[in-house]
Amino acid sequence: MSRALAALIVVDLKLAFRDKVVIFFNYLFPLMFFFAFAEIFGGRDTVGQTVTMVLAIGILGNGLWGAGMRLVQERELHILRRFKVTPVTPLPLLAASLVTGLLVYLPAVGLTLFLAHTIYGMPYPQQWASLLAMTVLGVIAFRAIGLIVAAVVNSVQESTIVIQLLYMPMLLLSGATIPLVLLPEWARVFSRFLPASYLIGAFESILVADRTLAVNLDAAGAMLLTTLLATAVAARIFRWEKGERLDNRAKLWLAAVFAPFLALGTWSLLP
Amino acid sequence: MIRVSGLTKRYGDFTAVHGIDFEVNEGEVFGLLGPNGAGKTTTVEILEGLRPRTSGEVSVLGFDPGIQHRILKDRIGVCLQAANFPEKIRVWEAVRLFASFYSRTADGDALLRRLQLWEKRQSFYSHLSGGQKQRLALALALLNDPQLLFLDEPSAGLDPQARLEIHELVLGLRAERRTILLTTHYIEEAERLCDRVAIIDEGRIVALGTPREIQDRVIGASLIEVTAAAPLPEAPSGGWRDCDSFSLSGDRCVLSVRSRVLPATLVDLVKWLDASGVVLRDVRLQRPSLEEAFLELTGKRLRD
Repeated sequence: MSRALAALIVVDLKLAFRDKVVIFFNYLFPLMFFFAFAEIFGGRDTVGQTVTMVLAIGILGNGLWGAGMRLVQERELHILRRFKVTPVTPLPLLAASLVTGLLVYLPAVGLTLFLAHTIYGMPYPQQWASLLAMTVLGVIAFRAIGLIVAAVVNSVQESTIVIQLLYMPMLLLSGATIPLVLLPEWARVFSRFLPASYLIGAFESILVADRTLAVNLDAAGAMLLTTLLATAVAARIFRWEKGERLDNRAKLWLAAVFAPFLALGTWSLLP
Repeated sequence: MIRVSGLTKRYGDFTAVHGIDFEVNEGEVFGLLGPNGAGKTTTVEILEGLRPRTSGEVSVLGFDPGIQHRILKDRIGVCLQAANFPEKIRVWEAVRLFASFYSRTADGDALLRRLQLWEKRQSFYSHLSGGQKQRLALALALLNDPQLLFLDEPSAGLDPQARLEIHELVLGLRAERRTILLTTHYIEEAERLCDRVAIIDEGRIVALGTPREIQDRVIGASLIEVTAAAPLPEAPSGGWRDCDSFSLSGDRCVLSVRSRVLPATLVDLVKWLDASGVVLRDVRLQRPSLEEAFLELTGKRLRD
């Protein structure tokens, strides 16, 4: 398994860097937000928040679109079918997707911090180990959510709809693009159930308030739990061919992998 | 190598495979011949461990594909009918990747050379021709040096030249005494490549044997066509042994004789020609083809 996993990671990485869409959405797209937000929200004074938002936007795209869409496309194009006739199991394929997503995304973190430092004078993060750890947990959690979406949908069209249904609320209502203070009360309550809100909260805590991962254990724990749960379920219900249909009830697994965040949201609303 | 007994596959109310039986012996090329939708691919995918069976007994290399599919997949080579690779994977990268999945692997470079892909090893998959893609699929099927190969419609959709190349490769594998189960709806492919053939139609095996045995089993008569240098001097009586019918055409220069037992008719015909002093320009023999056998056995043409 380790030999297969290593080979899959190497090939996945090469394929990722040969794909213009991957390059655009991992590096250029977040940078567009970076410069736009930095100018809109006041440059130097709020650059920490800007970096937080940009990192979250990148992770959302990398996970939901990168992992979720690609797996469905490979199933539709009969690519996974060729893997099915070999002894390889779904787990190394899924694990390779998690690792590849992370390795593709890490340079974007460095690039964003470098630009924030050189252009807007943001000091490099003091809690860099916590930032790295949270980045790792965030990327693999959102990749895993992407993989569970791919596992339960039957087509690229269905995948696009489900990913949009997850992506847009998290982009707009978690603080990734619009600061939570500007949102109405119902949206702020809703945001407490969104994984992206916890990712942004943890990044803000580490980047702006110089806190460590230790004070963000709830977010980190929920990310880790979601990763493990989603990857295990995605491996269990993995489909190699588009002809293999999944029972509609299996779509409920999508809700199940959000359970850690639903629990956190409910907990935060308790008096 | 393969034993199949009473194999049945149902999808809801539809029965794709109806209790078929056959065996594939070591070192032979066994063909499943039938039109699209006959149940060939379903059968093969059950044997490969890709699809569960509804009932029946199946043994492949001594393993039950329904239970021991992982160990089986490590030992067999499979060339699928419909499979693809990422557009931007290079040929050598695909070989290296798939080699990592098996417990034992053949020399990937040697395979690329053998399959005439060495010059293309740096090419992206999307830049390969149809024939090259199929050769790559064969290379990957051979990566674990399997003694048993499944080739599902290996030349479907290829141009005649590429099909010929694939045939040469399969004949090379046969010469190495590898066991091959091949599905096809091309008669000439089955006739050229297979030691034995099972004709499958609507999920049932309607004939099984060597291509020759199947041809001989059908009633359709062989044809002897004789072209004389000059018009035949006398009208033949047609009293040759086992002759079904005869006709003259081409200004009495071409004699066509239908025979139920070719050797007996041929001997008598040659004697009559000699006695009649006929100078021959050409003689052509045509046995009933597998296509005719298929038509007679199933009442339909293969490409229907």
